[in-house]
Amino acid sequence: MTRRAAPDAIRISRRAVRIGITVTVALLALLAIVGLAMAARANEPVTVATAAQMKVQQAAAERDVERSYEQSAEQVIKVRALSLAITAAQADQIATKALTDLRALRHSAYLSLGQVMSMAAAEAETYAAATETRFDQAPVARETASPSPVLLAPRFYAIVARMSELATLLADQATTQLTAPPPSSSPSPAPSGSARPSPSPSPTR
Amino acid sequence: MRYARALIVVGAIALGLLLGAALDPQGLPFVGSERLSAVFLLDGQAYFGHLEDTPFSGTIVLRDVYYINDASKVTTDLPVGLLKRGSELHQPVDTMYIRRDRVLAIERVTSGSPIGLAIAGQRALERGAK
Repeated sequence: MTRRAAPDAIRISRRAVRIGITVTVALLALLAIVGLAMAARANEPVTVATAAQMKVQQAAAERDVERSYEQSAEQVIKVRALSLAITAAQADQIATKALTDLRALRHSAYLSLGQVMSMAAAEAETYAAATETRFDQAPVARETASPSPVLLAPRFYAIVARMSELATLLADQATTQLTAPPPSSSPSPAPSGSARPSPSPSPTR
Repeated sequence: MRYARALIVVGAIALGLLLGAALDPQGLPFVGSERLSAVFLLDGQAYFGHLEDTPFSGTIVLRDVYYINDASKVTTDLPVGLLKRGSELHQPVDTMYIRRDRVLAIERVTSGSPIGLAIAGQRALERGAK
């Protein structure tokens, strides 16, 4: 008994089937490779700092903020100690304002550090106040043994860099104001046209 | 036919040996710890991140990119600071294509190095912020 193909059956050659299978396998292999690469990228191991390593980073950032504050405050105090052209009252006013601004800046920097470390607002405030008190009692400048240098995480570094920039700006502004010449009580006479020196006659021989 | 099969097997073994010798076991996916690379360019700039070095490509790809910035005017312990790429004015996405002919050297960054620790610290801060 022989089977006869139906008259409307589609005939596919074996060669076409082989090509089809090869292409399908190649596509599946490509898909598997792409999928594997994506899975490998998604599951790439990532190192996250431990609590102890974060303590080191935090301590370094605090020290850097404090160092910036102390250097700027010292600059203001040193310039104030000079004999200045302005009155003592004016100098005191400028120096006091600069030091107050620097303290506020330092407080703000510690608050930012607390916020970056995911502290709540009240917690960050407490942390900032406690850190300020700690450094007021034991300034960085008085440290005898310097801890090993630490490269800060970018978020910590951004805060320290901004603190440094603003503290330097405040100290420089105060220095400029402190060392400015006193405002003269009587305005100096405006130069008149006659005051201009006339060319002297050339000596004749 | 038998010779052809033998030739295929020998060829496959030779190819396997060649690839095996060229392959870095540490570079295999799903194996080992994080692989951070330092890419030093001919112009002196250095970038750090996850490297994808596809053979026969004119570029290499760096993801999760960090770079060094001059911090000589900042009161940090070191005269350099580490920045994460993405905060620039054009706020680039976290993928950097580098022309292969501009690369001077590629090195692996150890996790205990200052760069490795700073990047790990950044990750801890980012995870804490989420």
